[in-house]
Amino acid sequence: MGVEAAATASLQEVINWARKNSVWPVTFGLACCALEMMVASSSTYDIARFGAEVFRPSPRQADLMIVAGTVTKKMAPMLKRIYEQMPEPKWVIAYGSCACSGGIFQTYNVVQGVDQIIPVDVYVPGCPPRPEGLLKGIITLQQKIAAEPAGQRNLVSLPWGNNG
Amino acid sequence: MVERIKAELGATLKETPVGEADYRERGYHLFAEVASADLLNVARFFDERGFYLAALICVDYKEYLELVYIFSNHASLCKVKITLKIDPAKPVAPTISTVFDCAYWHEREIREFFGVSFDGHPNMTYLFLHEGIDFYPLRKEKIPVSDEDKKALGAFRPGEGEDTFFVNLGPQHPSTHGVLRVVLKMDGEYIEDAQPVLGYLHRMHEKMAENRSYLQFLPNTGRMDYLGPMAFNLGYVTAVERLCGIPVPDRANYVRVILTELNRLSSHLMWLGAYLADLGALTPFLFVFDDREEINDILEPVTGSRLTYCYFRFGGLYNDVDDAFVAGTRAFIERLRSRFSLYEKLVGGNVIFTNRTRGIGVITKERARKQAVSGPVLRGAGIPMDIRKSEPCAAYGEMDFDVPVGTRGDALDMYQVRIREMENALNIIEQALARLPEGPIMTEKAPRKLKPPKGDLYHTVETPRGELGIYIVSDESDKPYRMKWRVPSFSNLMIFPELAKGNLLADAVAILGSLDLVIPEIDR
Repeated sequence: MGVEAAATASLQEVINWARKNSVWPVTFGLACCALEMMVASSSTYDIARFGAEVFRPSPRQADLMIVAGTVTKKMAPMLKRIYEQMPEPKWVIAYGSCACSGGIFQTYNVVQGVDQIIPVDVYVPGCPPRPEGLLKGIITLQQKIAAEPAGQRNLVSLPWGNNG
Repeated sequence: MVERIKAELGATLKETPVGEADYRERGYHLFAEVASADLLNVARFFDERGFYLAALICVDYKEYLELVYIFSNHASLCKVKITLKIDPAKPVAPTISTVFDCAYWHEREIREFFGVSFDGHPNMTYLFLHEGIDFYPLRKEKIPVSDEDKKALGAFRPGEGEDTFFVNLGPQHPSTHGVLRVVLKMDGEYIEDAQPVLGYLHRMHEKMAENRSYLQFLPNTGRMDYLGPMAFNLGYVTAVERLCGIPVPDRANYVRVILTELNRLSSHLMWLGAYLADLGALTPFLFVFDDREEINDILEPVTGSRLTYCYFRFGGLYNDVDDAFVAGTRAFIERLRSRFSLYEKLVGGNVIFTNRTRGIGVITKERARKQAVSGPVLRGAGIPMDIRKSEPCAAYGEMDFDVPVGTRGDALDMYQVRIREMENALNIIEQALARLPEGPIMTEKAPRKLKPPKGDLYHTVETPRGELGIYIVSDESDKPYRMKWRVPSFSNLMIFPELAKGNLLADAVAILGSLDLVIPEIDR
């Protein structure tokens, strides 16, 4: 214990601080909500204030997936693949009623909530939610990242390991 | 025109009678039921006379399936409904994709939703659905897809080629503006063939309509085209009003025009920003969002929402507009007018942009007709057709505006047409505000429970992307028996493969952007 333990704890805090202030989302618009996501990144709402303005077209460079819109059964495999292509650690915001629970679309081709395919960290309901909703979602996610203890995030592909 | 077509069509069909319908009630002038042997002749008949295939619809009447072909004309108002009855046990019909190219896509759609196969169609494979769906969704009874059919339908499989390879544009690609997937067959940097694969946002609005009352379906319309939901709202309420004969007060009609045009502005602004961002210019994107937010600030207090509006009601409006709305809109008109010169400097006069878009994606008048494109894309190709002029609904008939057309039919023309349309929209709003009458916003004659009389209706309105056709079949119950949405983006996308052929991959993005597609509307 002693010095070592103190050093580990503060190192984790530094890591969390860095992570929470630079969550880069993958450009992933599915339906109507994607437009409000774009509005959130525009000058009026300015998502850059939260360090999350760097929308990456490639999942390899992103660590946040904002699922904005309806997930259909045809899209689900692609969505899962894009999620798996993102490097660890990664987070997911389900943005809008459709991504949270399927919304008004209780039909044969719609996945009833994206949490049936990938783990979700923050849910933002609304049809569509206002851009402020996304900002609130990101703030909530930042609080969650800040409180993350060391060594708790399991690697999806390696059930016995974790990434610290 | 209608008389002449009736006489000529009667002479072509010989035994089959050609009926005349009440256009105000039904939305078409003539109708005829043909035998499948005659269908190709009829298609050629309309092709020779310069008609285009506006919509191809299938309706399941249980005892028989009915294919409905709506032929329409750019030059003068004349719509003809041709129907063809087919046996539901062995649903086969001849293809007309050899005459009208756009039928290629409509027939594929009907193949997977109804199980009707088309004789002579070159490619009867899945367009919207995936292999996991083992029934025909729009049939009234649950009919399983047989193994043979499944094999025949199959998914898109790239073929073998020596020097070619395949590139998937989408479904997750920033410049497809959603979940559109286009499989591009490439020869080096050049595109040899393009095949759109749809259905990544297929939510089945049409089946939902069959299970809901007319009013309950209203919110769905705003979620089909999220950039121009007001025009979809307008199309749906005016269609149902036309079907039931509900009158609308003058004030409501004027407010409808103002709000639809404001929404058209916001849609075109959005297109401008997104298109330029696709081409690599991010600055206009930030500018247009500033203007778009102004429109949202005007619309939100009135409609109660920012995006998926559901504001119009059968027989009027949900909410009246106040003086603050009128003042805000007037101020906005001034503001946007002053911004146009800025956009002209930033975009229209920018040599990088003009050189990038001039001469690519050229659409000729003939190809535009064959592929049944509509809206700004059609006008960019040089055909002055605007449904606000030819079939005005709400108070559009009393507005004075011109129809801008392009001269070259390329991507730059589409840009210029849309910019001039935005100026027109401002003029329309200004006129409507000046003449906005006082009075009620809701008719007292609207019944609480809608049960339209038996019959069908093909109703069209001009959305920001073009011709929206709504085909409603009513069986006198409170729910529609069948509702088909002929959406503009679906028809405009059809022309993309031939535009892309022989072009560079980078130009494909520029061409796709010039068509202004909205994916939820294509997939429905």
